[in-house]
Amino acid sequence: MPKHEFSVDMTCEGCAEAVSRVLNKLGGVQFSVDLPSKKVCIDSEHSVDTLLATLNKTGKAVSYVGPK
Amino acid sequence: MDASINMNSVTISVEGMTCNSCVWTIEKHIGSVNGVHHVKVSLEEKSATIIYDSKLQTPKTLQEAIDDMGFDAILHNPNPLP
Repeated sequence: MPKHEFSVDMTCEGCAEAVSRVLNKLGGVQFSVDLPSKKVCIDSEHSVDTLLATLNKTGKAVSYVGPK
Repeated sequence: MDASINMNSVTISVEGMTCNSCVWTIEKHIGSVNGVHHVKVSLEEKSATIIYDSKLQTPKTLQEAIDDMGFDAILHNPNPLP
């Protein structure tokens, strides 16, 4: 599965938790959240646009870093 | 002003907020939802109080909007007193 890395402006555990929840809702994703570096690494067949839209739902600043 | 605007308010319990950044994000995001006039989020009480136009939003849609953001939103009183 393609791996994508996103930069998400998370500042606390609650933010990271919110990101995990929206991704779990989307389904079909495997991901890891790295809070200290504000990175989310997602393993998914979904398009980058879909993932971006999902991450944007949290209301945080999100940017696509690139494939991993 | 249009007399047909129906202001209403609802308090929704929000679990999963741990810092002021979470609070700020919810206030900014929900505040931009159509029909929402004012939103006040309390970290200590773990709740969001929203003043909204009942023609455009319902407590249920507001709860879903918070839920969509990745927080656990619980509606205790679906029909608050005026």
